[in-house]
This record gives sequence, structure tokens and C-alpha cells, in this order.
Amino acid sequence: MKLLRPVLLNVITWALVLLISFPLIWMIVTSIKPQTELFRIPPTWLPETVTFEHYWRLLSETSFLLYFRNSVVLATTTTLFVVALGTLGAYSLVRFTYRGRETLAMLVLFTYLLPSVVLIIPLYLMMVSLGLSNTLFSLILAHTTFALPYALWLLRSFMEGIPEDLENAALVDGASRMGAFRDVIFPQLLPGIISTALFTFILSWNEYLYALVLVNSEAVAPLTTGVMSMLISAFNIEWSLLMAASVMMSIPLIVVFAFLQSYLTSGFGAGGVKG
Amino acid sequence: MTAIATNIPKSATPPLERAYARLGVLLIAPTILVFSLVIVYPLLAAIYLSVFSIYTPTLQGGFVGADNYIELLTGKAFWNSLKVTLIWTVGTLTLQIVAGVGLALLLHQNIWFRSLARSLVLFPYFLSTVVAVLVWKWLFNDLYGALNQGLMQLGIIDMPLDWLGSMPNAMIGVILVGAWKFFPFVVIAVLARLQTIPENLYEAARIDGAGPIARFFDVTLPQLRSVLTVIILLRAIWDFKEFDLLYLLTGGGPVTSTQTLSLLVYQEAFGLNQMGQAAAYSVGMMLVMLVFMVLYIRQTKEKNA
Repeated sequence: MKLLRPVLLNVITWALVLLISFPLIWMIVTSIKPQTELFRIPPTWLPETVTFEHYWRLLSETSFLLYFRNSVVLATTTTLFVVALGTLGAYSLVRFTYRGRETLAMLVLFTYLLPSVVLIIPLYLMMVSLGLSNTLFSLILAHTTFALPYALWLLRSFMEGIPEDLENAALVDGASRMGAFRDVIFPQLLPGIISTALFTFILSWNEYLYALVLVNSEAVAPLTTGVMSMLISAFNIEWSLLMAASVMMSIPLIVVFAFLQSYLTSGFGAGGVKG
Repeated sequence: MTAIATNIPKSATPPLERAYARLGVLLIAPTILVFSLVIVYPLLAAIYLSVFSIYTPTLQGGFVGADNYIELLTGKAFWNSLKVTLIWTVGTLTLQIVAGVGLALLLHQNIWFRSLARSLVLFPYFLSTVVAVLVWKWLFNDLYGALNQGLMQLGIIDMPLDWLGSMPNAMIGVILVGAWKFFPFVVIAVLARLQTIPENLYEAARIDGAGPIARFFDVTLPQLRSVLTVIILLRAIWDFKEFDLLYLLTGGGPVTSTQTLSLLVYQEAFGLNQMGQAAAYSVGMMLVMLVFMVLYIRQTKEKNA
């Protein structure tokens, strides 16, 4: 009984973990099956023939690479913009005292919870009247609406974790506030900045609603709407091609998970769910 | 110098501190500017638009006063969507919490390849909703979908089920996918809290003769209470306003049986081309959400104090 319990625990846990990952395993399995093997009843749970033709077709015959490039530009620009603004803003919110600071912090939290559909109608009108609709720039601005409050809130928590004494010591030694920020705060904050940047990048990479409303030309469509249009426009749905697109679309995520996962978990600790 | 003599409270602020305050404002200024432009202005504009009737393709229309709100209160659409939103939120949130706490407890144990297991569980949360929906649509496929085939091979059903095209299956389907996509959030937050519960609390309970179940209810659960409150509030807000997952999986259908408030606003603005009415719905939706938001903000303030 004493020996059996850990084994049982392991078996149950891993069975559940595999059940949860099954949709993802199935996505990969489907993407490497030949089209003819897909429509077999009962399905082959493991592919009989492995093929990469769908990946090849995705890259050579569809606009996938264009969407991918758009998404990279969109998510990278949004992240750089938001993290730069957010770092300075968070420094100000945590380490300076001025009137309206608390109100501002609460406003940030409020906007962090605001539904996108409330903002989308005025934003759409705004982009149309500024002549910005159907540009990547309009999407970058739109992504700021959720990414900036998010980044500010996260960076604020990270900033609160840096001991105030460190900065004070530098000030006593004659450093200016910005000098202390550059030499003392910034290096301490760097893991937090990386974590925030990763989260922001993923948020922007995955965003769908704004892209749906603000962009309807293929040339500037990011991956989310681009890949969905491949589903809608196809006369008969090519599931293996779509699954290959899904795998490719998740590549940045897989990279983050493989190399930078600790930053994701630390971001969670800071993101307002501290117990 | 005379200012210092006459105005004592103000003189308490030395010049250096006033310079600091100015620098602080300067640092936050770009953020405030962007905030006003892309959030505060659109928010006010949404409220302003809600008393107009605007035809989306031409953007022409006129002032209609409270008409849109009268339609909201007396028409069926808003209340139907509110009901759907509540069913979806309560359903998916309950599953997320149960699965999340359960899995966090299991992953807290010393199992084989623990960090790999954790990564696999966390993955769906970071996945794009578009990818999640594509994968699940393929799984739900009535003829060739792995779900129907698997359930038939196991002998649970004899006929393939129509997962997303009929009720109540469509609602069950979106709730399931929502739970699958978002429960890892609960896992991460609960796991982080579990790691900070002092081991001696369990020791003491064990000495008192508490079994594993009693230990869960007497030690673990009370320790998790505060983090669970925050998780439930946050997830309730996020599930309530979820758009992508429902829009992509069912589009609100069949008919309007899975049309939540977010989908209603979108449909009214860009499907039926009634932008003013849509703005009114969105304001109504925000008012309902305000209850949760105030609760959450109060909770956060308490913790910071």
C-alpha cells in the first residue's frame, strides 16, 4: 500500500495531463497525416504515413508567411512601445509622490478589466476618420488599449518588489533620480521587464477582435484573422493544412516555453493574483 | 523666502521633493497621453454614440435620445444575451476552478517529470484562441472528429453527436473549450500559493489525526481562500467579456443560443450595422460588469493597504 500510492498518484496525474494535452497532440498528428488518411473511420490514432507536404504547401501556396511577418511586426512593435512607456510609468507610479497618483493607479486597473467591445466602435470610427483603417499602425494603437494597462500593472508589481533602500543609497551617493533608475532600478527590474515583454508579445500575437474589425485587406492581416480566413474561404476544409498552420502559429510560444518559461511563471505571481 | 514664512504647510515640501514630483509627472505623462487617446476618449465616445442612431457603412445618423436604451430595456436581445453570458460564465468558471484546484493539488505532489507535466498543462492558456478553436472544431467534427469517434469506440455514444450546431450541445461545447483554455490560469495561481503554505501546519494536523481529506478542508482550503477570491473575480470578469472563443466556435449560434453580450455588441455594430444601438448595448454590458470590477478593485486595494 505504501509503495502503491505514489505509483497510483503518478498514473492518475499523467493520465489527466495527457488528456489535457490530447487536442495539441492531435493537432500535430493531423498536420503530418496525408489528406487521404484523415477521413478514415475509425481514425488512425497514430499516423500510418508521415508527411510534411502540408507544411510545404502552407509556406509555398498560401499567404501564411505574409501573415506571419505582419504578426511579428505587430507584436514586436506593440511590445517595445508598451514596455518602454510602462517601465517609465510604473517607476513614476511606485517611487514618486504627486497628486492624483492613487487615482491613476486605480484607473489603470479599471482599464485592464474593460471589455474590448466597448472601445472597438469608437476606435473603428477614429481609425476611419484618421484614414488609418487597414494599416498595421491602427492595430498597434488598438493593441495598446489592452497591452498598456496590462504591462503597467505587471511592471508596477515588479517595481514594488525592489527594495527602496537600494535607490536611496545611490541617491545619498550623489546619483540623480534618472541615474539611480538607470544604474540601480533597471538592472533589478530587468527580469520583470522580460516577463512583461513576453506576456505582451503573446497577448498581441493572439489578439483577434481588433484585427477582425480594423483590417480587411490581406496585405496587413495578422495570423489570427489570416488563418481564420483560410478556414472560411476554403470550399472543402483542409484540416491538415489548418493544423499545420496552427502548429506554425504556435512556434513563438513553443520557443518561449522551451527557454523562458520561468519568466512566464514569475509574471503570474506579479500579475495581481498574489495570494 | 516670504512664502515659507506665510505658508507653513507648503514649506514642508523641500525644493528637491517638488522637483521629484515634477519628474514623476513627466515620466507618467506619455502614458497618460496614450491612455487618453486610445482608452479614455473612446470610452467617452462610446457613451456619447449610444444616444445616436448611426448606420455603420455610411456613418450617417442622428440624435435619438434615450431610444437605444429603451430598446435595450424593453427588447429581448439584451436580456437574452445577458442570460446566455451568465450561463456561459458560471458554467465555464465552475469547471475552471474545480479542474484548476484539482490539478494544482496533483502537480504540487512529487510526481515523475513534474516540470514537463506542468508545462503541458499550462500550454493551452498561452495558445492563441484561433488555434484552440481550429483544433477543437476539428475534434468536434461530426463525422471524422476524434471526439465522436473516440466516444463511439469507448461505447459511450452509438451515433455521432452534433456538437456545435444544436442546443444544448453548443453551450456545453463552448463551456468545455473555455474551461480547457482558461483553467491553467487557476493552476498557476493556486500552485504558487500552495508552495507558500508552511509544512508545519500539515504536520500539526497529522499529529491531530487528520486524514488527507480533512487536511485539505482544514489546512489547504482556508489558506487558499484569499487567492481563490481574486482568481474567481478576475476570471469572472474575463469570461464575462470573452469574445474570440465564442465568436469563432459558434458565432453565437445556433440562432442566438450562445450569443453573449460581447457578441451581441459586435453583431449589432458590424452585422446589423446599427452602431448607436451597439454602443448602448456595450454601455449596458459595462454597467453589469462594473459590479465585479468594483469588487475586484476593492479586494486589490485591501491587499495593498
